[in-house]
Amino acid sequence: MKNWRELWLYFWRDLMIAKTYRIPFVMDAMQALFGATMFFYAARFVDSPQLRSELPQPGGYFAFALVGWVFFDYLGVAMDTFDQSLVEARDSGTLEHLLVTQTSLPLMLAGSAIYPFLITTLRIAIYLVWGALLFHFPLGAANWIGVIVVLAASLLSFSGLGILSASYLLLFKRGNPAKWLLIGLWGIAGGMLFPVTILPDWLQLIAKLNPMTHALNAMRAALLGGAGLAQLLPAIELLLLFAMVLLPLSMLVFYWTLERTKATGTLSHR
Amino acid sequence: MQDATPLPAIVLKDLQKYYPPPRTGIRAYLQPFERATRPALQGVTFEVQEGEAVALLGANGAGKSTILRILATLLIPTRGQAFVAGHDTAKDPRAVRRKLGYHAGSDQGFYPRLTGRQNLLFFGQLNHLTRAQAQNRIAELGEQFHLTDALDQQVRTLSSGTTQRLSLARALLHKPTVLLLDEPTRSLDAIAAAEFRRFLAKEVLRGARTCLLFASHALSEIEQLAHRVAVIHQGQLAAFDTVSGLLARTKTANLEQAFFQLTGSVNLFERFEHLDHKDRPQ
Repeated sequence: MKNWRELWLYFWRDLMIAKTYRIPFVMDAMQALFGATMFFYAARFVDSPQLRSELPQPGGYFAFALVGWVFFDYLGVAMDTFDQSLVEARDSGTLEHLLVTQTSLPLMLAGSAIYPFLITTLRIAIYLVWGALLFHFPLGAANWIGVIVVLAASLLSFSGLGILSASYLLLFKRGNPAKWLLIGLWGIAGGMLFPVTILPDWLQLIAKLNPMTHALNAMRAALLGGAGLAQLLPAIELLLLFAMVLLPLSMLVFYWTLERTKATGTLSHR
Repeated sequence: MQDATPLPAIVLKDLQKYYPPPRTGIRAYLQPFERATRPALQGVTFEVQEGEAVALLGANGAGKSTILRILATLLIPTRGQAFVAGHDTAKDPRAVRRKLGYHAGSDQGFYPRLTGRQNLLFFGQLNHLTRAQAQNRIAELGEQFHLTDALDQQVRTLSSGTTQRLSLARALLHKPTVLLLDEPTRSLDAIAAAEFRRFLAKEVLRGARTCLLFASHALSEIEQLAHRVAVIHQGQLAAFDTVSGLLARTKTANLEQAFFQLTGSVNLFERFEHLDHKDRPQ
């Protein structure tokens, strides 16, 4: 009960801060409109019967690309949010004051991630609503329970990588180059804007090992193809396996890093 | 038969802290793994009792903030141990934090776009106050520290002195049994500083029997508040005594002279005195 209350407190803090910036809400909604419009016309330009036959789900290239784009954004948040919370806390001087309170480190990390995840969910919903209202994005077939389960499994697995990235930042005080490399590679060999089947063999091998590919495939299958949980299970299992390894590992690394910075006296260094 | 003697609120046992040398450029990547060779504390030992106020007096870089940060569980000692209410700061930091109130001198650490009240509500509840308890305590401390108007303004709009009072209020919100203050009156005007000292002496030390360890350069503040003074010089404990004890030991007339004598800066002090007389306007 106490833990839920603390998680709520972090969310409340971020919500109160966000309320002081009103325009970004409107800008996010407009950005989603512009994004959906751009994908719609790009899809009209490239769409063809041959391309449609290459795509695994119905809805054409517009639906394929829009899901790829917004879902990639979601997982990008999982990778970035811990870094950003850490940088903000360090730069505002609140990090040390948080660490002197009775809150635990996992709660601090989880709590700081709630608002960014929820606001990104809202942004994605706006993207899809614009797509459905203006450009006939096919929402009718979606298996929403499947969508939520895939989303949750993906967030858990990618959050582990996000916490590892935050550990790197805490220790070395600068951005993690491996994270940018990983995000770049995922963009290419993850099936964000094109099916991985058109890639050369060696990149297809990377795509198979890439959890992003499985997450995106499962999301498209649930959202566009209405796939049931049984069909989604292999991808969900893989993502959960990834989470089961990465989350405890990343927490251990974060604990170690925090202890190391307390030993070297660099906790609040920028 | 059980020993009824209460545990000291703070115990430092041969406390040592060394930092790794600072590195820049590509070598900065190695810094977290370098050997800690720069001494900050070299075997400091003393105890502070419940209800007692002890001042840390020393030059810049002497090690005062390092002691406070180790006790606040923000630093891990290289050797030796620090205890708060019987809990080892390195081995049981969560138990230590339950007892602590901490005010950092350099960094006020608030969310600038939240109001003072929202900030205090957030930190108070993280220290396991209920919302109602936090609200009552904020009202109480707000009145005490003349923060009533400031509480509903965004922290980014507050003066440094007001933000400092807010930070002191945060340290006291959950009624800690051990209070660590790093230069508590640094940005306060003379009236606010005097009121804060009165509050500490009356409410915190006498009323709640809280243990207070504070670092300060304001000698009058130390004379007014501290039961005992820990003089820190180059990471070592040069003396630990009452103000009168320090004066008797150094055969000096005031704390400033005693401090110069204890830290070996007496020649420097005499030079300043000489310059002062020579350069004083006629």
